[in-house]
Amino acid sequence: MKDSKLSKENILLVGFPSNGLVGTFSISYIVHYLGMKQIGEIEHPDLPPTLFVENGEILASIRIYKKDNLFVIISDLPFDPYRAYDFSESILRYCKSNDIKKIIVVSGMETINREPSTPKIYGLVTHQSFEEILYENQIPKFLTGSIFGTDATIITVFRKSKIPILILYAECHPFFPDPEASILAITTLAKILNVKVDTTDIKKKMERLRIQHRNLMDETVRTLQNQQEKAPTRTPQIYR
Amino acid sequence: MTKTNDKLDIKIIQPSISSLLDDDIDSHALSPLSCLREFGTYWLLEFDLPLVNKKDIKVAFDENIISIEAKLKEIYSEEKLGIEMKFQYFKKTITLPKGINKTKIIAKFENGRLRIMIPKQISGERIKIN
Repeated sequence: MKDSKLSKENILLVGFPSNGLVGTFSISYIVHYLGMKQIGEIEHPDLPPTLFVENGEILASIRIYKKDNLFVIISDLPFDPYRAYDFSESILRYCKSNDIKKIIVVSGMETINREPSTPKIYGLVTHQSFEEILYENQIPKFLTGSIFGTDATIITVFRKSKIPILILYAECHPFFPDPEASILAITTLAKILNVKVDTTDIKKKMERLRIQHRNLMDETVRTLQNQQEKAPTRTPQIYR
Repeated sequence: MTKTNDKLDIKIIQPSISSLLDDDIDSHALSPLSCLREFGTYWLLEFDLPLVNKKDIKVAFDENIISIEAKLKEIYSEEKLGIEMKFQYFKKTITLPKGINKTKIIAKFENGRLRIMIPKQISGERIKIN
């Protein structure tokens, strides 16, 4: 196994419901596969008053996990623009107080006519230090397009900070849960982090996962559409 | 709430009650996710139908309503509020917009997704270009 610079510094992975539920699926799988421990929660007065109970344990909708130098912040609720900003700001504060050196966000990128089983993944970075990681892992750069919603808010907040951020965009169906795209995101993340992650289990359960997560997908689509209505959908054509 | 004891499973937690809203528990039918998108010359209606074989899908079209029924290849069960519920079908009805060409609708099923292309009707008086 090669020695990666990333394996020595504190890294934060972030996942939340977005296109194809790619971020939530992949980050959740990494958390459970690596056996990460929950170390905290993020609260917001405007979040819907929702707690989840699992096997008698009370869980908040935004949770923080840790194992060695790897941190995870995961949300089970999609964000409207106001909450997205507060969420991004609280991630930044958390990074500063925990000496996080880099952040990786996993998300989905809408494709209309993707061939089955062949999604691609792209990387968007805010700082030069992540360019090398894209190159080493043969991840093409996300070159042109528009970003809206929570992804855009996080990028905006972190661009102004000294903490570099990498957003991995896996091609996916935007309105249906896309475990195939999530598997690609998981394997790419594993490569970047230099950890071994077996995706056999998720592959076996792919069809059932799509049924299981219909409601979260539905809720996410409504939130994203609400955000998209307020955002421009085309790249300015000035230099074309 | 998604519940599992398998450590390697994906655990995304959802409110238990919400998924009861659209599913028809009495007739063991799940409501599939669907989306209708408008393109220049056609509408694209898609249904997410995992655990389904192509031969078990029935699509019916009447006036401007499309109905689908698809039998699952195995029973899907979910535990909600301590009750185990079993589902055997996907069922859904969608009302289409007006002005569609009913004779040229094309349906394709691939990778558990049903894609129905519905061309728009091009009609009306011709406008002369000077």
